[in-house]
Amino acid sequence: MPDARDKPESAPTPGIGIKEEDILEAMRAIPGYLDITPGDFKEVYRLAFQHALERLSRAVTAAEIMTTDVVTVAPDTPVAEVAAAMGRRGVSGVPVVDAGRKVVGVISEKDFLTRMGVQDAKNFMSLVANCLMSKGCVALPMEAVLARDIMNSPAVTVAPNTPVKDIATLLTRSGINRVPVTDPDGRLLGLVSRADIVKATMGRIAP
Amino acid sequence: MMGAYFRKMAGSTQSPPRVGLEEILWSWLGSFLGIGAVAYINYGWLDQIGLFLLLGSLGASAVLIYGAIKSPLAQPRNFLGGHIISALIGVTAFKLLAPHLWLAAPMAVAFSLAVMHATKTLHPPAGATALIAVISGPQVTNLGYLYALMPVGAGALVMLVVALLVNNLAPKRRYPEFWW
Repeated sequence: MPDARDKPESAPTPGIGIKEEDILEAMRAIPGYLDITPGDFKEVYRLAFQHALERLSRAVTAAEIMTTDVVTVAPDTPVAEVAAAMGRRGVSGVPVVDAGRKVVGVISEKDFLTRMGVQDAKNFMSLVANCLMSKGCVALPMEAVLARDIMNSPAVTVAPNTPVKDIATLLTRSGINRVPVTDPDGRLLGLVSRADIVKATMGRIAP
Repeated sequence: MMGAYFRKMAGSTQSPPRVGLEEILWSWLGSFLGIGAVAYINYGWLDQIGLFLLLGSLGASAVLIYGAIKSPLAQPRNFLGGHIISALIGVTAFKLLAPHLWLAAPMAVAFSLAVMHATKTLHPPAGATALIAVISGPQVTNLGYLYALMPVGAGALVMLVVALLVNNLAPKRRYPEFWW
């Protein structure tokens, strides 16, 4: 069989692992002569699949997939408590809300790392490396620091009717892992994380 | 660039799977009865009064409407539409261009193909129907535009009736996929 690698339309599409052998098997299962080559069918399938994914992700909105049981902190919460809350709930980021539930910022693990003197903080491992190299941990200067001091503000937020597709693009472009969902007045309604998008997409694709 | 051009000629995929024996037998039966019906009318009745129904291109159509019945090319719209449109174009090409048959022949086929595409009636055997209108001599050319109705339209209609009757007898077949 000729190699299809040099054909641009055969570029791999995430989530579509269909092979010509699969199509041949499917064609064998259908009685009667099908007037199409496996290659053409694969191309139709690939485009149709992409189209379906696009349609589905357009149709699903933030409100449908967001987590509503969100851990939040106040602007004057000491960062020690923020860290403890994140650890307790096993989340890597929290929205900071004021007394009226308005989102004023977001704190993520990365914000801690940068404040702890880790240059170029990418993940927890850079902190580990930093601790090991400087012979001692560096969280101490943060004792008196409050949430508002380390939060990212203003927070990137989305509306409940934002399509999931746009949220995925936003997360990737902004290099963030979660985005608070707010009402028109900026009050917190929920949180969409990358995991929420993955879960939602799986549910939609699986028949 | 030249490399890419020649690489295209190597093909990029493989041949579809072979159909089952049952399918082969139904294809045999359909084409036998379809061409049989047209041939019987042709030789049994029409021959005596100087008319004909059995057209070469119907043999090609038999392959599609009894052998590849799911194909868009084999559906009634394409089958009837393609033949009749191409017949009209073939006759027109002959009328306008005879005796320059070397030009009338490709004109008939090329225009038939183009118009079939444009009208969503693509049916490969109809290219032969257009060509036959040009190259067959007085027995065909004397018919004028009647050629599109008889033998082309009438012959195709007989074949279509047989296709509807026989294809739908087969438990795993259904025909047509669409009418129009």
